[in-house]
Amino acid sequence: MQIGTQARKYRLQGAGLDLALPYLMLAPGLMIVLGVLVYPLWDGLRASTRAYRYGSPISDVGLQNYVHLWSDAQFLNALWVTVKFVALSVSLEAVLGFALALFCLREFRGIRLLRTVLIIPMVITPVVVAIVFRLIYASDAGMLTALSEAMGGGAVQILGNRLNAFIGLVVLDVWEWTPLMFLILLAGLQSLPHEPFEAARVDGAGAWRVFADLTFPMMRPVLAVAIVLRTIDAFGTFDQVFVLTRGGPGEATRLVSIYGYDTAFKFQQTGYAAALFVTIGLVVLALAFSAIRLLRRIDAS
Amino acid sequence: MTHSSRSRLTRRSVIKGGLGLALATTALATLGLPMPARAAGKKVIIGAFADGGLTPFKQKIVPQAKEAGFDIEFLEDEYGVTLEKWFADAQSGAGQYDLYLLDDPWVPQFGAANVLEDLGAGGIDGADKDWIGPMMDMGYWPPQKGPRVKGFEDAKPTLICVPFVGDLQTLTYRNDVFTGGAPKTWDEVIAKGKEGVAAGKIKYPVVFRGVSGNPIVTSWYPVFLSFGGAFFDDKWNPIFNSAEGKASADFFVGTMKQNAPSGVVEFDSDQEGAAILGGDAGAIIQYSGNALKADDPAQTKVAGKLDFGVVPKQQSAIAQMGIFIAGVPKSAPNKANAIEFLKWYTSAETQAKLSEAGSIPVKRSAFGIAKPGNRLIPVALQQLDAGALPRPRTPDWAKVEELLGIELNKALQAGSGGGVALDTAAKQVKDYLTTAGYY
Repeated sequence: MQIGTQARKYRLQGAGLDLALPYLMLAPGLMIVLGVLVYPLWDGLRASTRAYRYGSPISDVGLQNYVHLWSDAQFLNALWVTVKFVALSVSLEAVLGFALALFCLREFRGIRLLRTVLIIPMVITPVVVAIVFRLIYASDAGMLTALSEAMGGGAVQILGNRLNAFIGLVVLDVWEWTPLMFLILLAGLQSLPHEPFEAARVDGAGAWRVFADLTFPMMRPVLAVAIVLRTIDAFGTFDQVFVLTRGGPGEATRLVSIYGYDTAFKFQQTGYAAALFVTIGLVVLALAFSAIRLLRRIDAS
Repeated sequence: MTHSSRSRLTRRSVIKGGLGLALATTALATLGLPMPARAAGKKVIIGAFADGGLTPFKQKIVPQAKEAGFDIEFLEDEYGVTLEKWFADAQSGAGQYDLYLLDDPWVPQFGAANVLEDLGAGGIDGADKDWIGPMMDMGYWPPQKGPRVKGFEDAKPTLICVPFVGDLQTLTYRNDVFTGGAPKTWDEVIAKGKEGVAAGKIKYPVVFRGVSGNPIVTSWYPVFLSFGGAFFDDKWNPIFNSAEGKASADFFVGTMKQNAPSGVVEFDSDQEGAAILGGDAGAIIQYSGNALKADDPAQTKVAGKLDFGVVPKQQSAIAQMGIFIAGVPKSAPNKANAIEFLKWYTSAETQAKLSEAGSIPVKRSAFGIAKPGNRLIPVALQQLDAGALPRPRTPDWAKVEELLGIELNKALQAGSGGGVALDTAAKQVKDYLTTAGYY
């Protein structure tokens, strides 16, 4: 019995099972990665070089879809709106998040509750946030109009005005995502060494000098990471715009995500939409690499 | 067996576990694969977009269908996401639905992609004289009449959809403001509406949808038609920026905006419905969704004060027809049941019951029943006889509507420049259709 088992064991080893075992164990994970990451990426790249009609590929067009993007006024407008939206939202979130993190670094009664309350917007589903803001902004029955009318004013026009709608969208994004900045920056502030700050206090440095010469320089890497993360995320903003404005009025809030979605699914221009998303992916990647290089330079200095 | 030997991780146990996991994964994956179509009793999975026009069907006809032996599963989505969702379902052959209740402008897109069943071959008689002709025409791809897109010039028209609920635009107006009956012209709508505002009966003479894309184009369309506009010529050249078209757009973004709520640029069907049912607006051109609520005190503050009429005219009183139209995807899991259900539903008897339930039928005989369930039904027939046109039968309508809707919305914000907006949109549409190979 014992001899038989041993013999089987050696036969298995002889068949190379020892060598194959690690690969067999990796196989399920590898197949999942291939299936859900590599294949869709490859398929998307392939689609971006094809022309589609009525939802089906009809011909290979090489890089024509990519070239056409740069003469498509709607795409260029959507890209410009997205860049403005990302720049404004992320800047405001960084400033507010930093300010809140500095404030919440102190220990006082109720600080734990305050920190918890401050991160609530971030955990609410973006679609729900957009619906709530729609109820606030609506000119007929919105909360702002109700307030204005109670004070003797008229209807407040936010979603029907190009500039106001854009600002309204930025406000929504800032409300929802400042907590993420706050959380990352608070963690960064709490991890800073105490000694330099104590030394500065002993030397009689004021609050501004401590911030300018110690806190900010020491926090720069953390701040850069937070900004890069939020920038990548903000480029993909979709749900809030889809619910709040659907890109309007006109094209005032039409981000590339909305334009790409419509192009792919509403107008069935799958190849063109794939080229659009690949281009945006490359833009975001370029931004991320630039930020990482910047971080390295900061570290080195 | 000792404790240590029980807990030790041996190569054999790893291989056994791995094989077991692989088998389990394979079994789960197999379960997730689409199964071949098979009959499951009389189950019919119906996909629809949320719209008040389907309320009588859901409330009164679905229970009767169940009595007739159909097991109806009704899946509803927001209008804004249904086209893309169903098209993906049909094209991938996912088989999530047996029946789509499409908006009629989507028929060409599904038809060109060849993803819907031939209902004529399934035994549905498209030549039955009882059908409302213009509604039945919308079920064919390529269209039996009018211009055809490239690639389908010589194709035989196939019945891929059948009219389901015969919706079209009509006028809803306040009878205490327009005391002489339905206003006949746009000038009358505005003039008498202003009198109603001055008398404190209403806040605005009119209300409409101003949101970019489908909503604003749908609201502008009957104005455009009543001014004598036409959308494309027979070679698919955009001609909506004709003198008549421009006059309609200038009237729409100028006069109509000045006499509508100040935030009309952001109004969609919810807000326009609230304005007319809440008693703020004097008149509206709308589909049946909100009109069907006009007599229900639970849904309107002005029950008894809302009447229906044919749309006002400048040159003619033509409305836009926008029906619910049913198609069976080739991937439907219960195809035979779906076609059998359609035969039952479109029979003269069931259509009469639909009319009794308060919905606009798709068979002429059902308009003539003794007690239609809603006052709107005879007015809908009057509008059909006065004139009702579908949107152009092109698979690219969604893009055309988007381009036009953006420009109209910009002009509406500005409160002027409707004609210029149409010129800009016409150029964009022409460029797009050129790229799409129309010329």
